[in-house]
Amino acid sequence: MTAWEKQASRRAIWFLLPALGMLAVFVAWPLIRAAWWSVTDADLLATDDAHWIGAENYSDLLRDPRFRHAFLNTALFAILIVPLQTLLAMVLALWVNRPEPAWRWLRTVFFLPVVVSLPVLAVVWTLLYQPEQAGETGLINRLTSVFGFADRAWLRDPSLALPALAAMSIWQGVGLQMMVFLAGLQGVSREQLEAAQLDGASAWQRLVHVVIPSLRNTIAFVVTVTTILAFRLFVQPYLMTRGGPDDRTLSLVQYMYETTFLNLELGRACAAALLFLTWVGFLTWLQRTLFNEEKS
Amino acid sequence: MTPCFLKIPDGLKRYPLVGIVCWLAALVGAHAAQDVRLRVWSHQGQEAENHAVREIAEAFNAAHRDRGWTVELSFFPDFQYTEKLAVAAAARDLPDVFDLDGPLVARFADVGLLKPLDEFLSDAERADFLPTILAQGTVDGRLYALGSFDSALVLYYDRELLARAGVTPPVEGQGWSWDEFVKACEKLKTAGIEPVALHMNESADEWFTYAFSPVVWSAGGRLIAQDIARVRGELTSEAAVRGVRAWQELFARGFAATDPVEPDPFGQGRVAMDWSGHWMARGHLATKGDRLGVMPLPSLGTPAAACGSWCWAISAETKQQEAAVAWLRWVTEAETGVVPLVRANGAVPARRAAFAHFPEYEQMPYALFRAQLETSARPRPRTPFYAMLTHRFAAALRDISRGADVESRLRKAEEAVQRVIDRKRPTKTAEASRP
Amino acid sequence: MSGRRRDHITRWAEALLGSASVVVALLFLAPLLWTLIGSFRVEEAIFRLDAASLIDPRMWTIENYGDAWRRASLGPALAVSIGQVALIVAGGLLVNSLAAYAFARLQFRGSDALFAAVVMLIILPVEVIAVPMFFTARDLGLTGGLGPALAGLTLPFMAKAFNIYFLRQHFLNLPRQIEEAAVLDGARVWAQYWRIALPSIKPALATVVVLDVLTHWGDFLWPLLIGTREETRTVQIGLANLFTQPPVQWGDILACAVIATLPVLVMFRWLQRYIVATQVHTGIK
Repeated sequence: MTAWEKQASRRAIWFLLPALGMLAVFVAWPLIRAAWWSVTDADLLATDDAHWIGAENYSDLLRDPRFRHAFLNTALFAILIVPLQTLLAMVLALWVNRPEPAWRWLRTVFFLPVVVSLPVLAVVWTLLYQPEQAGETGLINRLTSVFGFADRAWLRDPSLALPALAAMSIWQGVGLQMMVFLAGLQGVSREQLEAAQLDGASAWQRLVHVVIPSLRNTIAFVVTVTTILAFRLFVQPYLMTRGGPDDRTLSLVQYMYETTFLNLELGRACAAALLFLTWVGFLTWLQRTLFNEEKS
Repeated sequence: MTPCFLKIPDGLKRYPLVGIVCWLAALVGAHAAQDVRLRVWSHQGQEAENHAVREIAEAFNAAHRDRGWTVELSFFPDFQYTEKLAVAAAARDLPDVFDLDGPLVARFADVGLLKPLDEFLSDAERADFLPTILAQGTVDGRLYALGSFDSALVLYYDRELLARAGVTPPVEGQGWSWDEFVKACEKLKTAGIEPVALHMNESADEWFTYAFSPVVWSAGGRLIAQDIARVRGELTSEAAVRGVRAWQELFARGFAATDPVEPDPFGQGRVAMDWSGHWMARGHLATKGDRLGVMPLPSLGTPAAACGSWCWAISAETKQQEAAVAWLRWVTEAETGVVPLVRANGAVPARRAAFAHFPEYEQMPYALFRAQLETSARPRPRTPFYAMLTHRFAAALRDISRGADVESRLRKAEEAVQRVIDRKRPTKTAEASRP
Repeated sequence: MSGRRRDHITRWAEALLGSASVVVALLFLAPLLWTLIGSFRVEEAIFRLDAASLIDPRMWTIENYGDAWRRASLGPALAVSIGQVALIVAGGLLVNSLAAYAFARLQFRGSDALFAAVVMLIILPVEVIAVPMFFTARDLGLTGGLGPALAGLTLPFMAKAFNIYFLRQHFLNLPRQIEEAAVLDGARVWAQYWRIALPSIKPALATVVVLDVLTHWGDFLWPLLIGTREETRTVQIGLANLFTQPPVQWGDILACAVIATLPVLVMFRWLQRYIVATQVHTGIK
C-alpha cells in the first residue's frame, strides 16, 4: 500500500459520510419503517399504536378488487406507453441526428415538453381535452373534428381516459428518451455504416442491421426507465381525472396515496408500497435478463 | 471609500447559491419576527362562501384588536382538504382552529386531536343550536365540533308531472309511506314519465351513505352499533336488509336510473321527483316556481332524514385556547357568523336565532328543511371507523343498484369493516371499560 | 449531368424534409403555443381561435398575469420553488460528488459492497417511501414554517444513488496519472478531489444539474405532503390550487402555467450546450 492509498482510505469515510448519512436517514430508514408498518395495523394519526398483524395487509390487498384495478390500470398505462414512446423517441432521434447546427432547433422543440414540468402540462392538457361546453371546445376536439371525428369527452369517457393520459404522457416524455437515443447514436460505428453502404445496403437495411443492434444497450436502458416511470403514474390522474371515470385511471401510487391520507390506513398503504417496490424490482430484473440473453 | 460592511463578501459574489441561502434565511427570519396569530384553516368552498369566511375573519380581527388577536386564514381546495388535515394531524402541525366534515369528527376525537368544547358553552347557547348540530359534534358524550350551518335531504317533486300521471302528493309537511311512494312511481312509469332521480352518477362515496342511510334507519336498522363498534349483524339485520331491498326495487323496476349521465334531470323536466338536498332548492325554485313541491323522504316505518355538514373544531394542542374559543363562538354566532355564511352558501342555519334573518324559512321548501332538522334528522354514524364504513357501504349500494344480491353483498361489506374493527378493538374496549 | 440531377434531387429532398420538420414541430408545440396565446386572451376568447377574434384587440389582455400572480401568491411560491431547486442542486452536487469520488478512488475494505448497496437504491421509486419519509422529516422537525419546510423540501433529495453512480463512472474514466503526479507534489486527498478531479468532470456535473433541475422543478407529491402552510407552497402546488379552486379562470391558469415555466426555460437556455454536449450517455450500462 502506497502512502497515497493509506491516506485515501482513511479519508474515504469523510467523503462518504454526508451522502451515505443522508441516504440512510431519508431513504434506508423510511424503507425499513415502511416494511415494519406494512405488517402492522398502523394508523396515520396514531403511528405509535401499531400492532403486529403479520401478512394480513398483503393478503387483504391481493384480494382487494380496487387494488387489482389500480394495478391493471397502471400496467395498461405502461403497456400503452413503453413501446410507443421508445419507438417514437428512436424515430425522432434518427430524424434530428444531423451534424448541421441548423437542425439543433428541432432537438430543442422535441425536448421542450420535458422542460415544462408535468403538473403544468397536466393542467394544460385538461383544457386541450375539453369537449364542447357552452361553445368552448378544446384544441384536440377541434383537430379531430377537422378529420371528421365526433366531439369526445376524452377524460370523462371510461374507455378513452387512460389512453388520453397515455398520449399526453408520451408527448411530454419523449424528448428525454430522444436525447438518450441521440447519445447512443454517437456510439454507432461510422466504419460499419460506411462498409454497409459500400456493400449496397439500403438506408433501411443499414438501420436494421447496423444501427439498431448497436443501440441494444440504449434500448434496454430506455425501456427499463420508461417502464419504471410509467408505473409511478400519479400527477396525471391526480390532476386530470381524479382517478375517474369509474376508477378507470386510478393508478397504483394514487391508490397508495388515498389509502394513506383518506382512509388513514398507513399499514395497508405501506404494504401496497412494498408490493409496488417488489414489482418494480422484478421488472428491472426481467428486463436485464431478457436483454442480456439476447446479447449472448 | 465604501465602508467595509457595505461590501458584498467575496464568497457571495463567487457563489450565487450562498447568496440565495442567505436571502432565504433572511426571509425565514422576517417571518419569525411577526406577531403571534391564530391559525385557522378552512376548505375552499364556493367563491361566495369563501368570501364570506374572509369577511367574518376581518370583522373578528377588527373586534379583537384590543386583545391583539389576529385570525390568519388558510384555504385549501376542497378536493385535497381532508388529505391536508390528515397530513397536518400526522405531522402534529394542525392549526389552532379548522373546519372539517361532520363524519370526520369522531375519527379525530378518537385519537385525541380535538379539544372538548362543553366547558366553553353556556346552556343558553347550547339550546340555541339545532339538535342535529350538537349530535354531529358529540362523540362518546362530549362535544368536539360546532357547525355554522347544516344540510337537509328531501324529496322534491314537480306538481304538474305528478298531476299528469294522476298522482296526488301528500299534505304539506307530510311524507309518503314507502308503499305510497312505490305506487306513485308505478303510475308515473305507466304515464311514460321517469319517476325519480337518485343521482347514482355521484362519484363520491359520501353521497350514498348520506342519501340512503335514511332508508335503513326508517326501516328500523342502523349501519353500526356505535357504542360497541359492531357492524356485523347490523348491515344484515332484518330491518336493514328490508330497507335496502325496497331501495333496490326502485332500480329493478326501472323507477330510477342506475347510470344517469345528466347531473340534474329533474331540473330539466325529464324526471318527476328528485331525491336531493337543500343545495338544489334555489335552482329548483328558479326553474319550477309554483310547480315545485317538496316532502320528506318516503318512510318504511319511522320517518328519518339526513343531516350533517362542515363544522369547526379546536386543535387539542392549541396554545391560543382563549382566542380559538372566541373565533369558534364568533363564527357560529347567529349575527356574526351564521347569517353571512348562510347568505353565501344557502345552507340551513345552525342557530335558531338566525332563522329570523331568513324569511324564506316560513315557507316550503325551507320550512321543511328546518322541521326535519328539529325532529327526524340523524347524523351519520359517529365512529372512528366511519371512512371505512362509508366506503364499503357505498360500494355495496353501487353493486346492489345494479342487481347484486342484497343480503350477501351487505354481509361482504360488514365483514370487511368488522375485520378492521376487531383488530383495533383491544384499545377501544379498554377505553370503554374505563370508569 | 447526372451528378447535377442528383444534387437537384437531394436539394428537393432536403427542402421537403425541412418543411415537414417545421410542420411537425408546429404540431408538436401546439399545446405550448396555445398555452402562451391563451394566457394573453380574455376569458371568453381563450377557446376562440378564429381570425376575427384573433385580430380583435379587445380579446387580448395581460390582466391574467396579474390575477394569477395574486390569486396563486406566485411571488412567495416562486421564491420557495427556486430556493428548493437551488438547494437540492448545490447540496446534491457536493455530497454526491464526494461519495462518487470516494467510491472511484479511495478503495477500502467493503467499499464494493457498500457501492452495490447504493446502486440498488437507484430503482427505488420515491413514492414507495414518501409517507415514512414524511414521518422522518417530521421527527427531525422539518415540517411547519418556511425554514423547516424548506429544509424538508430539500434535504431528503440531495443524496441520490443514481447521481453517485453516474459521477463515479466519470471519475473512473479520468486518467489516473494526473492525480498521482499531484500526489508526488504533496497535494492531499481533498485537494485532489477539489482541484483536479472535480473540474475535470464539469460536463458530467452539468448533466446532473440538468436532471436534478428538471426532476425537482416538477416535484408534486412531496411538496403536497410536506407543505402544511400557505407560505410553503411551491409554484406547482400554487398552479394546482388555481386549477381546482372555484371560480376556475382559464386565463389565470394559463398565465400561471407560463410563469411556472419561465424560470426553468431560462435555466435550460443556459445549460443547453451541456445537455447537447454530454447527454445521459455514460449513465447507460
